[in-house]
Amino acid sequence: MVGYAFTRRRTILLLLLTSVILITLDLRGSSIVAATRSAFGAVFRPVESATRVVTRPIQNTWNGIVNYDEVLEENRRLKDLVAFGEGANIAAIATVREAQELLALNGLPTLAGIASCTAQVVGQSPSNFTQTVEINRGTECGIKVGMPVLNAAGMIGKVTNVYNRRAVVMLITDPGYSLAVKVVNTPPTTTTTTIPGVPAESTTTTTTTTTLPPTTTTTTIKGFTPGATIAPNTTLVPIDPLDPDAPSAPNRSPITVPPGADLPLRETGALEGRGLSRVPVVRFIENQPRFGDVAVGSPVISAGGATSLAPPDIVIGTVSRVVPRSGTLGPILEVTLSANLENLNFVRVLLYQPITERPTTP
Amino acid sequence: MIERVFVLAENRYLRLVLLGLLFLSLQTTILNEMRPFGVSVEVMLLLAAATGLAKGSETGAIAGFVVGLLYDMVLTTPLGLCAIVFSAVGYLSGLVHSFVHEPTWWSRIIIVSGASAAGTVLLPLAFTVTGASGVLTVGLLPIVIVVTGFNALLALPVSWLCGWALSERTEFS
Repeated sequence: MVGYAFTRRRTILLLLLTSVILITLDLRGSSIVAATRSAFGAVFRPVESATRVVTRPIQNTWNGIVNYDEVLEENRRLKDLVAFGEGANIAAIATVREAQELLALNGLPTLAGIASCTAQVVGQSPSNFTQTVEINRGTECGIKVGMPVLNAAGMIGKVTNVYNRRAVVMLITDPGYSLAVKVVNTPPTTTTTTIPGVPAESTTTTTTTTTLPPTTTTTTIKGFTPGATIAPNTTLVPIDPLDPDAPSAPNRSPITVPPGADLPLRETGALEGRGLSRVPVVRFIENQPRFGDVAVGSPVISAGGATSLAPPDIVIGTVSRVVPRSGTLGPILEVTLSANLENLNFVRVLLYQPITERPTTP
Repeated sequence: MIERVFVLAENRYLRLVLLGLLFLSLQTTILNEMRPFGVSVEVMLLLAAATGLAKGSETGAIAGFVVGLLYDMVLTTPLGLCAIVFSAVGYLSGLVHSFVHEPTWWSRIIIVSGASAAGTVLLPLAFTVTGASGVLTVGLLPIVIVVTGFNALLALPVSWLCGWALSERTEFS
């Protein structure tokens, strides 16, 4: 009996030690673990495919019973959305092209210059505690670990595991996800309407003064500042006539001073996932007066940069709630994602790697 | 050739691995899509609990480790995390079952349900220990309830399957 208990204790201890060693190896990024997983994937894939084929009728029956009404309702809603979006789409395409041309003209990076690989979502995480999806493209398409993944609505996550014809994408909502982002805030702008005969009050805030007949116009478009489309201020600066670089004529050259106070302000932070049931948050937003209070609805986009895993200006979502914190701690921003992560089908993997991830030539 | 297959099939842990692969394929396909109340049903956890029930705590611990390791291969969690948790689940169900004087069908169901509930709580706990955050929330409660309920429904047939897979001698020999 004593011998049996000793053997049992030894077995349990051995299992425990093996698990700890495996966890340590995996957390330290051992290539052996990655190779083992890859080999297992090659063996398991046919078994999984066969099971998928066999169980598809059951799955379809289940979906028919559970989701029929929702699918009908969604179909109706999507038809409305398509009709609504068709008109806006044409204008948007023209605007995007113009923007890309302008960015290219100024030598700024654009998403149009980054190659991508389109893939289809073929499965989601079988676990309740990780938010991942599996896509049907892998190393054969040039996909590597860390590459950003987006759908038509915006960013959805990043690649965490890559195999041949298969890759695992960690969604933005996963607690392990983090990305540098920019929050585009619109500064508080006061519009003063001067009624003829009544003197306008002086104000120290960013003010746009417009003289209008005594009618009131209300705009509800977020980020739109009345008068922001007026020509920029122009200041005439006298040029030193003795300056050899100065042009001979005319003696006064116009210098354009952009209306900086009216431009949307940007602040960077870190977007972090918090699980499927909670929305992601942006931390490390500085509590600086110029940036002001973050408005609900402000867009959140990727920050980019040499070390960031994603290029700049990919739409992520909008600020849905601002949680203020005391002292110098900046607020925490809750973000409503643009992409619907529950209905992912076709996605695009940007074949983008930051400079720090590129292999160095010996 | 067929004789060799029969010889291989006599190894009870090989039979368990094959059974584990079958359950894993069900977990990643049909059960991944069919989510009652939005919760993914954990049949791998059920398999681990049922092995302990069928063959005792020591065999349950080893079988749970094997089943957990198979599950780890398809997850993004650290390799060995599910193995250690499922090993504990297999051991626990076997240990509790050994205290039951005259096991009945409903005592088996209760043991598998209890072990499944414990495993569902232990898994995010272990995940948190390895550095993850946001997995130990109140959202765990519906997961525990659904997983426990589903595993209770399938406890008897799966424990019979595990008993067959882990038996020393089979009809092949």
